[in-house]
Amino acid sequence: MIQLFHITKSFEGAFALADISLKIDKGEFLFITGPSGAGKSTLLNIIFGSEQPTEGQIILDGRNYFKIPRSEVAILRRRIGFVFQDFKLLPARTVFDNVALSLKVMGVGPREVRNRVLRMLSFVKLQHRANFKAMSLSGGEQQRVAIARALVKEPAIILADEPTGNLDPALSIETLELFKEVNSRGTTVVVASHDKNLIERFGRRVVRLENGRLASDGR
Amino acid sequence: MAGSLKGANIFYIFSDAVRSIRENLATTVLTALTLGFSLSIFAVFVFVFFNMRSVINSWGDRTQIVAYVLDSTEAPQAMRDAIMRVPGVRSAEFVSREKALGELKEELKGHEAILEGVDENPLPASFEIRVAGSYKDPAVLTTVAERLKAIPWVEDVQYSREWVEKLSAFFRLIELVALFIGVFLAGATIFIISNTIRLTVYARREEIEIMSLVGASDSFIRVPFFIEGVLQGLIGGLLALAILAGGRLLLLSKIPPYFSFVVSSPVPVPLLALILVGTGVVMGVAGCLISMGRFLKA
Repeated sequence: MIQLFHITKSFEGAFALADISLKIDKGEFLFITGPSGAGKSTLLNIIFGSEQPTEGQIILDGRNYFKIPRSEVAILRRRIGFVFQDFKLLPARTVFDNVALSLKVMGVGPREVRNRVLRMLSFVKLQHRANFKAMSLSGGEQQRVAIARALVKEPAIILADEPTGNLDPALSIETLELFKEVNSRGTTVVVASHDKNLIERFGRRVVRLENGRLASDGR
Repeated sequence: MAGSLKGANIFYIFSDAVRSIRENLATTVLTALTLGFSLSIFAVFVFVFFNMRSVINSWGDRTQIVAYVLDSTEAPQAMRDAIMRVPGVRSAEFVSREKALGELKEELKGHEAILEGVDENPLPASFEIRVAGSYKDPAVLTTVAERLKAIPWVEDVQYSREWVEKLSAFFRLIELVALFIGVFLAGATIFIISNTIRLTVYARREEIEIMSLVGASDSFIRVPFFIEGVLQGLIGGLLALAILAGGRLLLLSKIPPYFSFVVSSPVPVPLLALILVGTGVVMGVAGCLISMGRFLKA
């Protein structure tokens, strides 16, 4: 489903990623781990297409990512749910509106948007915050809004950048259980995390990055 | 622009635009005010320029050539027709010998003694001739005068080349100054408006980025900005019209009536409204779309 060939990303001569080749199968659940600055976020951003690699190619669903016309990028992004490390919520909009945005851009009708958003908000235990503005929520709550926005469109791929970074241990486990459930329905899940305990608990494939290089790949 | 605009999309786009205007009311009003004031300042300049120009044109319309004619061998109407056929002549008015004497007597009122002893009318009949565009090109006047002189029954031709040349130089100076001020003002107006719009769009760059990241097509992102641009332009244009109308009324009550021409509209008021609102809308929309185009590409 996702294939990376010799991906290199450098910023002013310094390598953020160096010669990463990786194959992620459809329906796989994968952790990307490594210390801060190892290149986890950069790798996710490159898979998502919001950053361009300095060298290398990405094949997504059999198509060369960098040959997709700009007009189709939006369509591609609708198939990927991204949980950003800094959430990227619209602060002045309500929780409901933030989650609904994912469906609205796809042209889903208002009634279905309402049903799916409310269902997803109760899934992440935020139904009581639906009409609150995103900026009035705590960090953990904002993170769950970001997760709900990524999941509500039932994407083919979930990319999550430190999705439990602001959550307590119990909620972190619940969130990953959520991803596991989505994964069991066929969604490919890629989670960047440096939480060793959490990763070990879930016993999935782990790709370890160190200084931008692939240090290990296995369970 | 990616993706077709489905029914639900159009509904969201418009409801988003309405919401966005509500949320950004302060910046919408600020942009509309900037548009309104900038447009009205520029319009005032255009008003004054066109009105001054028509005044200078009317100076140039004064009698420029006097052609004295021999004792009528031809009927005045036939002579007038012949003069009017000379290229460049716009009008020719016949002044009979009697009329010329009457005018002279009028001018010499109180000094009638000068004319004592003059039994016969010594004044010749003449034509007062106006030449089109001579204040722009004094050479036209010379050419016309030469052609008039060539007519057999024209005894003499008089014109003040010096006055026309001075008027012409003055007109050129005014046009040059106006061009300079016009370019400067137009540049300043565009600069102020585009910067105000750029700042309002810049304040919402995060919103543009986030919408793009969750898969919104360019048209989905652009249309609300487009609608806001139209609205801002519309309000700005109407505001400029209101400022001009209010300013005109205020000025008319303060200045002497013979200066009132300066503040009259050089074009019919409905056309003026259309120009102002049209310019406002075009600037509002173009400003919004160009500014956000940069963020979308990024």
